[in-house]
Amino acid sequence: MKVKLFAYLRDYTGVKEIEVGHCRTVRQLLKELCGIFGKKFAREVFDGENLSGRVIVLVNGMNILHLENLDTELKEDDEISLFPVVAGGR
Amino acid sequence: MFGWTGTIIRVNLTDGSIKKESLNLRDAHLYLGGRGLGTKIIMDEIDPGINPLSPENKLIFMTGPLTGTMAACPGRYEVVAKAPLTGTIGAANSGGHFGPELKFAGYDGIIFEGRAEKPVYLWINDNSVELRPAERLWGKNTFETTDELLKETAEDARVACIGPAGEKMVLFATVMNDKHRAAGRSGMGAVMGSKNLKAVVVRGTRSVEVADPEVFYEVCTEARKKLKEHPVTGTGLPTYGTEILINVLNQVAALPTRNWRDGGYFEYAEEISGEALREKYLVRNKGCFGCSIGCGRVTRVPEGKYKGFGEGPEYEAGWALGANCGVRDLAAVCKANFICNELGLDPITMGCTIACTMEMYEKGIITKEEIGMETPFGSADAIVELTRMTGLREGFGDRLAEGSYRLASAYGHPELSMSVKKQEMPAYDARGVQGMGLEYATSNRGGCHVRGYMTSPEILGVPVKLDPLVTTDKAKWLKTFQDLTAVVDSAGICLFTTFAIGLPEISAMLKAAIGWDYSDEEVLKIGERIWNLERMFNIGAGFTKADDTLPPRLLNEPLKAGPGKGKVVELDVMLKEYYQLRGWDEDGLPTGDKLRELGIK
Amino acid sequence: MLSPEKCIGCRTCEVVCSFGKIRAFNPKISRVSVFSFDEAAVSVPMMCMQCEEPLCMKVCPTSAITRTGDGVVAVDRDECIGCKLCISACPLGNITYSSVEGGIAKCDLCGGEPKCAEFCPSGAIEFKEPSPNVIAKKKAIASKFKELFGEVNE
Repeated sequence: MKVKLFAYLRDYTGVKEIEVGHCRTVRQLLKELCGIFGKKFAREVFDGENLSGRVIVLVNGMNILHLENLDTELKEDDEISLFPVVAGGR
Repeated sequence: MFGWTGTIIRVNLTDGSIKKESLNLRDAHLYLGGRGLGTKIIMDEIDPGINPLSPENKLIFMTGPLTGTMAACPGRYEVVAKAPLTGTIGAANSGGHFGPELKFAGYDGIIFEGRAEKPVYLWINDNSVELRPAERLWGKNTFETTDELLKETAEDARVACIGPAGEKMVLFATVMNDKHRAAGRSGMGAVMGSKNLKAVVVRGTRSVEVADPEVFYEVCTEARKKLKEHPVTGTGLPTYGTEILINVLNQVAALPTRNWRDGGYFEYAEEISGEALREKYLVRNKGCFGCSIGCGRVTRVPEGKYKGFGEGPEYEAGWALGANCGVRDLAAVCKANFICNELGLDPITMGCTIACTMEMYEKGIITKEEIGMETPFGSADAIVELTRMTGLREGFGDRLAEGSYRLASAYGHPELSMSVKKQEMPAYDARGVQGMGLEYATSNRGGCHVRGYMTSPEILGVPVKLDPLVTTDKAKWLKTFQDLTAVVDSAGICLFTTFAIGLPEISAMLKAAIGWDYSDEEVLKIGERIWNLERMFNIGAGFTKADDTLPPRLLNEPLKAGPGKGKVVELDVMLKEYYQLRGWDEDGLPTGDKLRELGIK
Repeated sequence: MLSPEKCIGCRTCEVVCSFGKIRAFNPKISRVSVFSFDEAAVSVPMMCMQCEEPLCMKVCPTSAITRTGDGVVAVDRDECIGCKLCISACPLGNITYSSVEGGIAKCDLCGGEPKCAEFCPSGAIEFKEPSPNVIAKKKAIASKFKELFGEVNE
């Protein structure tokens, strides 16, 4: 599945996009990514076992908070987007 | 006096008289300042039915009780008048340093009446206030005007002015202050131009005092700390500015693309994103007066045919001139945005009006000969050239200067104007963000996102998480957001503070500044009062329930892709609930009881 | 310590400085001023650098200006006669006269807890106890200002 990374998360990952396979849930996927990108990335994404308040995770454009959160199931052709909480608009 | 300075300047441009008046304290306690107090003065002093570009309209510059203090982001002021683009009440907020300087000169605001026979500018230097001739500045852009006026008055003064677009009464002309900051929407610059008023220059050396300095210091320090710690105001906005939203909205498929025709996904979003802007053209970050966020972007396109220097584009401008026109060339988007600032144009309405033209061009409704160039979606040259022509009302620019609604209607296709009450909607496809649909439909100045920013809870999950695709609870939250925003715009602080702080912090700052014992509920009531007063103005100007609507595209054409696939805006159900929560009748008229409760009647 | 490259030009330092001195908000009496150069896209916070060999101190006819043990160049209000010679003497223009307070106004580092550094949102103004290293940096930066303003005034 394709994972897209945005804003300053790119400072931790060094890439804008990565292909990851064999993850059944968002939790598994994020753990996998933490393994690839290391501690700084992990600190942005997790607060203990929970999703941190500093990131937004979208599966095919849907916020996982409106799905099954970290237990949201994934398919191989899903597109996952990871943002820090950012905003604005004028 | 605390918070306020207690004095307002009244300038009659027709006979050149200048008076200093005491602030009406009763009104100030009911409407605060800025947007609220400005609207109250407009309501009391003009007939809502007048032509906005006639001498009967008044133009008000108004600060709030927190402007120029150490409150959270206290650099704001508001320009208020009947709006030429919409015919509604018009109020446009701006930051920079102009508003605080007006307070330091000893004034809460300025009321301009009538029309000067020849171009003039107002020079305020503490006690001394005078009108001076501005004929030799007429025709100059906002940068040149600012530089010349600073030379002529004082180097440490602050300038708010119009560019050629305001002079020529382009219906969406802005008032620009400190060169790069805009009182942007609904055409306040056109009203200024109609009065032959080129600029207001101010310099002040006096103090702004607060009622309880120790408590004020404490609550402001606390509020600033919250801004620093919040991911949006402490990290997101400082690092990337507002342009960061391009990729966010694109990924949730709510980034309107090609005049909203192609749904909410722009395939080249990454190329015009905040990330790309930072990588390619960012020079440095910039903050308004007393701001701890610093979302401003100083940018430079160093070479090529779109070479230029200035600030922005902000998210809305980047979207309107970029994704909404199908343009993927960030340098061209920057250039068109620089031109907007120099000539004094609102880049949202500018981009959307070009987008509307592009759709009509592709449909064969407007020809190449009429426009003077090929204008397909995606044309980088077209957005730059048409923006310039509009600011100067040159050639086809004269038609664009009327905004998309009047343009599309003239060709028999008003449905292709993506506007509400004739003002173009900003960068959130409401089919995928339902609450924004209700926000656009009910906004008192037409299509607008800064009257109750539902994107915050619906997309960013701040301060609560609302599912963007459903209508549940949207009316309730929108009412609260609208009322709170009216308080913020009238207090003199920046709306962006509300990502990190809410009613308790804002009312704590107001209370310590003014010396009130108001409860939080009473402070929020001020916002509701302002909202209803604006509504009453619009009703007086002839607006009805039928105007609380959206372009047919949003009500009838379902989104083609993304999470909102198959969705249209379910406006009717939300609107009915909204009127009830507002205490309005079925036709959207505030009831007598509601108006009495708020002290309007 | 000043890092102009971090300055966002917001003037928060000016507004909190004035509050520290007069319990009200007035950038004109602030001991720190931010100069912004639009085209160059540079903003520079300017304040007393607490010079090692202060010219203001040398020129003061009543010896009201002294350099205290902790490195602050301080004005004794009781000794000051308001002649303003120090304003002319300061090569960096960092002393002003405050009509609001009726006296010479210069940075006194707020008794060791400067408000400007506490509230600066971008870290452009930081306060660190003076060490030879810091003083060397101060000097370097001060001379940069001199160059910069020399150019601007030409």
